[in-house]
Amino acid sequence: MALTPTLLLAGFETTLNALLSRDPAAPSRLRALAGSRVLLHLETPPLALALHYHPQGVDLLLIDEIEEDAFDAIVELSAETLGALASGAEMERLMFEGRLAVRGKVHLLEATRDLLLDLDLNWEAELARWLGDLPAHQLAEGLRGLSRWGLRTHQELCADVSEYVFEEARWLPGRHQLEALRESLTELDVATDRLEARLARLTRLLTAEQASP
Amino acid sequence: MDKRTTHFGYQDVPVEEKASRVADVFHSVATRYDVMNDLMSFGIHRLWKRLTIERAGVRPGHSVLDIAGGTGDLALKFSRLVGPSGKVVLADINASMLGMGRDKLLDHGAGGNVEYVQANAECLPFPDNTFDCITIAFGLRNVTDKDSALASMARILKPGGRLLVLEFSKPDNALLTKAYDEYSFRVLPRVGELVAGDADSYRYLAESIRMHPDQDTLKAMMESAGLERVEYTNLTGGIVALHRGIKL
Repeated sequence: MALTPTLLLAGFETTLNALLSRDPAAPSRLRALAGSRVLLHLETPPLALALHYHPQGVDLLLIDEIEEDAFDAIVELSAETLGALASGAEMERLMFEGRLAVRGKVHLLEATRDLLLDLDLNWEAELARWLGDLPAHQLAEGLRGLSRWGLRTHQELCADVSEYVFEEARWLPGRHQLEALRESLTELDVATDRLEARLARLTRLLTAEQASP
Repeated sequence: MDKRTTHFGYQDVPVEEKASRVADVFHSVATRYDVMNDLMSFGIHRLWKRLTIERAGVRPGHSVLDIAGGTGDLALKFSRLVGPSGKVVLADINASMLGMGRDKLLDHGAGGNVEYVQANAECLPFPDNTFDCITIAFGLRNVTDKDSALASMARILKPGGRLLVLEFSKPDNALLTKAYDEYSFRVLPRVGELVAGDADSYRYLAESIRMHPDQDTLKAMMESAGLERVEYTNLTGGIVALHRGIKL
């Protein structure tokens, strides 16, 4: 069991470095990051992962004793926030919402995210090495067509479901209705505060009149 | 007067003879060492070594000594972790293994912060309190006087430094022990003969593992050498154990 996380991490590291070695933009980015150490500290599940950059890629190490001064940047986040970061959520927004805490050199986290999310792999060329130019191109065209179809179907499905839920069945209020309701509630909230203040003033006046001879 | 003897696998040999016989084993297998490690352990030795690196806690600027460093698996990763301000010394008693390690490290671009020393673990040629971390992976069982070697390592560790010993040990399950014995004594020598052209060296490997101290004995030996907070982790059912001690 002691080796399971090590095995998973080793597999991830090998895959990641293999992908980076195929990205033409990665060498210059890695050169800029080489020697930097970033600590990813996940709260749930509890995990401390060190990313150590070198010119050929990144070493990933599980850390059992954290010495913060050994790292250039320390990132504290939850697994959910990590997922949001990986799917392209804005770092500033996550930090503002208190879901992401970064100490040290913040730009290292940005550079890490750019390195991983901007991976530009020429996978058709890799396929061509194994299958030959023509079959690789046909397979790639097929996969691209499938991907476009999947994306279009996903968008259409979302639009259809949204239309049914908001417009036809009216199970949920639409965005504009929600905005109008929120504005009304805000007005009600302000009016209630105002009324409460008036009542408090009247109570004070009545109390003062009763107290005077 | 009787000569002092020690074990070489299951044989008793004069103490002064063991080092040269172990050297012969490694001269014989040096060129096929990495391939055989992958074959014999089904690649799991990479995970054992990786865990050793994780537990070493090495950071930029550290000085690391990898004793019996062989073909440099640990030293390669350490050289990246310590950076240009740190230093890694790859030490091995065997010139063939050291040569293989040096070639491999140079091929992987590790050079500036790595030094190579041919040294006997029993009398390491370094001043007191020199290294932040010392590792010895699959080397201690080949050392003639293990207590002297551990004392020598403790001497050259800096206060607060860590010694990590990765070594074959005793499986903690009877069924696994039986399967492991069958594999070690029947399969390994044949694989050794086929791949490295040397069955005897791999028979010695299996025998030397059985003669090596078990987990608790090695822990006690490390404590006797002056290390503290000694702990061990069984890996792959105790086939291998990773011991870690700190010099305070």
